[in-house]
Amino acid sequence: MKKILVCLKQVPHKDARLDVRSDGSWIQDDNIKFEINDYDTYALEEALRLKDQGEAEVVVATVGPERAAQALRTALGMGADRAIHIWDDALAETDGLGIAKALAAAAKDENFDIIFTGLMSDDANCAVTGPMLAELLGIPHITAVVKTEFKNGDVEVERELEGGALEVASLPQPCLLAVQTGINEVRYASLKGIMQAKKKPLDKKDLGELGLDAAAVAPKLTVEKIFVPPKGAGAEIIEGPADEVASKLVGKIKELGLF
Amino acid sequence: MSKTLIVGEIQQGVLREATLELVAAARELGGDVVSLLIGNGIGELGEELAKQGGGKVLVADNPGFESYTADAHAQAMRKAVEAESPDLILISNTPNGWDVAPKVAAALDAGIVTDVFKIEQDGDEPVFTRRLFNGKFNGRFRISGTPRIATVQPGARAPYEGSDAGSVEALDVTAASRTKVVGVKTAEAGGHDLTKAEIIVSGGRGLAKPENFKEVLQPLVEALGAQMGASRPVVDAGWLPHNYQVGSSGQIVQPKLYIAVGISGAIQHLVGMKNSNYIIAINKDPDAPIFEVADLGVVGDLFEVIPALAKAVNEAKGN
Repeated sequence: MKKILVCLKQVPHKDARLDVRSDGSWIQDDNIKFEINDYDTYALEEALRLKDQGEAEVVVATVGPERAAQALRTALGMGADRAIHIWDDALAETDGLGIAKALAAAAKDENFDIIFTGLMSDDANCAVTGPMLAELLGIPHITAVVKTEFKNGDVEVERELEGGALEVASLPQPCLLAVQTGINEVRYASLKGIMQAKKKPLDKKDLGELGLDAAAVAPKLTVEKIFVPPKGAGAEIIEGPADEVASKLVGKIKELGLF
Repeated sequence: MSKTLIVGEIQQGVLREATLELVAAARELGGDVVSLLIGNGIGELGEELAKQGGGKVLVADNPGFESYTADAHAQAMRKAVEAESPDLILISNTPNGWDVAPKVAAALDAGIVTDVFKIEQDGDEPVFTRRLFNGKFNGRFRISGTPRIATVQPGARAPYEGSDAGSVEALDVTAASRTKVVGVKTAEAGGHDLTKAEIIVSGGRGLAKPENFKEVLQPLVEALGAQMGASRPVVDAGWLPHNYQVGSSGQIVQPKLYIAVGISGAIQHLVGMKNSNYIIAINKDPDAPIFEVADLGVVGDLFEVIPALAKAVNEAKGN
C-alpha cells in the first residue's frame, strides 16, 4: 500500500478583509475566516485521486495554531485517512525552514512514497517549504507540477515553465511534488465525509514529541514590517455613476486612437 | 568586506537578462562580486558574464548540466559556496531559481527570502522587500546568519550595463541527478493568440461565475473589436481554456489597450500585461494591486460599469 503525505497550511480566506496590525508586524488575524491554502487543496486532490485508483493511505499534516485543526478536519472530510497537527508556541515566529524541519521530523519514520505540497501559500507567498522538506528527508523534488503520471515506481510530471511552456521530467519514488493550482478539479467534502472525519485520527504533536527544541526552529528570516504598497504613480482613479465613468472611458479610448 | 555570489541563468543558449539584473543589485550593495554559471559547453557565456560585471565567474561546465535539474544545480551551487564563502547569494526567481534555491538553503541551513524586488543595505546588513498576500501587502525582511540567500524577481530593476575585465575559473563539480528531464513542450496558442491583439479585455474572479464572461464581458469585447483574456484563477476553475490566460505562465501580452475587469492583480498576472501601452483596471477594491500598474483605474461595480461601457462604445461607434 502506498503511503502519501499531503502538507497543507491554513491561510486567511481569499475573501477576508485584511488589514495590517498597528505595529506592522503582520496582518490582523483575530477575527477573520480561514481556509486551506488554495495550492494545497490541489495537492490534496492529487493525493486523493491516487487513493481512488487503488490502495493508498493519505496522511495530511499541518504546522499551525489551534485553529488549523479545522483545515485538517476539512481534509479528512474530503477523504484523507489521518492527520498530524504540529504546534508549539516556539513555532509562532518560525520561518519556512523551521516549518520544514518540523514536518521532516514528523515524516522521517513514516517512509512516505510520495509527498505532495502546494507550490506556495497564499499568505506569505514564500514557496520554500516543499523543496526544503524534500532536502531534509533526502528525497528529490520538483515544483510547479501541473500533471502527474505514476508508473513503475517512477513519477512522470509536467512542470510549468514560462510563457506556457512545460517541462516533462521523471522522478523516482519516494519524491516530493509541489503542485501548481489548476492541476485538477478539487472535490468538496461530502456530508457523509464530514461525519466520517470525526472518527478519523488526528494526532497532535509538539516540538518535544518531534525530538526538536525551540533553538532548532528559531527563524533565520524575520519580518521587520509589512505595509500597503504605495499606489502606482500613473494611476488616475475615477469613481461615480456607471454612465459617467463609461463616457470618460470612451473618451480615453478615442484619445488612444482605437476607434 | 562582504561578498555576493550571483547564480547566473542561461536560457536557450544566452544569458538571461535577469542575471544582469542580479549583477546590478550586487554591485549596488558593494563588496566583492563573484558569479556562478552552470551549463554544458558554456565557456563563452562565462567570458561574457565576466565582461558584463559578473566579477570572477565560476563556470560549472558538464554534460550533466545540459538540462536543469534541482539535484545537479544544487551540487554546483554548494560547491561554489564552499569555494567562495559568500555572505549573500542572489538567484533569479525563475522556474529554475525558485525550484533549486530552497533546496540549497535547507542543505546549508541558511536563511532564504524569495521573490524580492528591492534590496537595500542597512549598515552591513541587507534588507529585502517583497510582496505578500499575492501583492496586497509588501514586507521588509532581514536574514540572520550567513550565507543569506535571496531570489530576486526578474524585471524588478534595470540590468547592469557597464563592462569589466572580470575573470573566469572552472568549477569542477559532478552533475548527478535523481530527476531526469524527458523534454520540453512549447506553448501552443491553440487558435487564441493574444500576443498580436490590439485590445484585450480580460476577466478575473470578480466576474463571479463562468456565464458572466459571455453575458457581461463578451458584449464589451465585441463592441471594442477586442480579444478576451483571463486571469489564472479563472482558468484554474475551468471557466475558460488555458489559452486565454494572461500572465507569467500564460501569454505575455503588450496590446495598445488592456482592460482588466475584476482582476485583483497577482504578480504573475501583472508580469504578463504590465508592458501594455495603456491599462484600464476596473475593480471594486480600491486597494487591489492591479491599480499599481494601471494608467486609469475605475473603483466600482463591474456589473454596472461594463454594460454601460459596452453601450457607450457602441453608441460612439454608431453601431
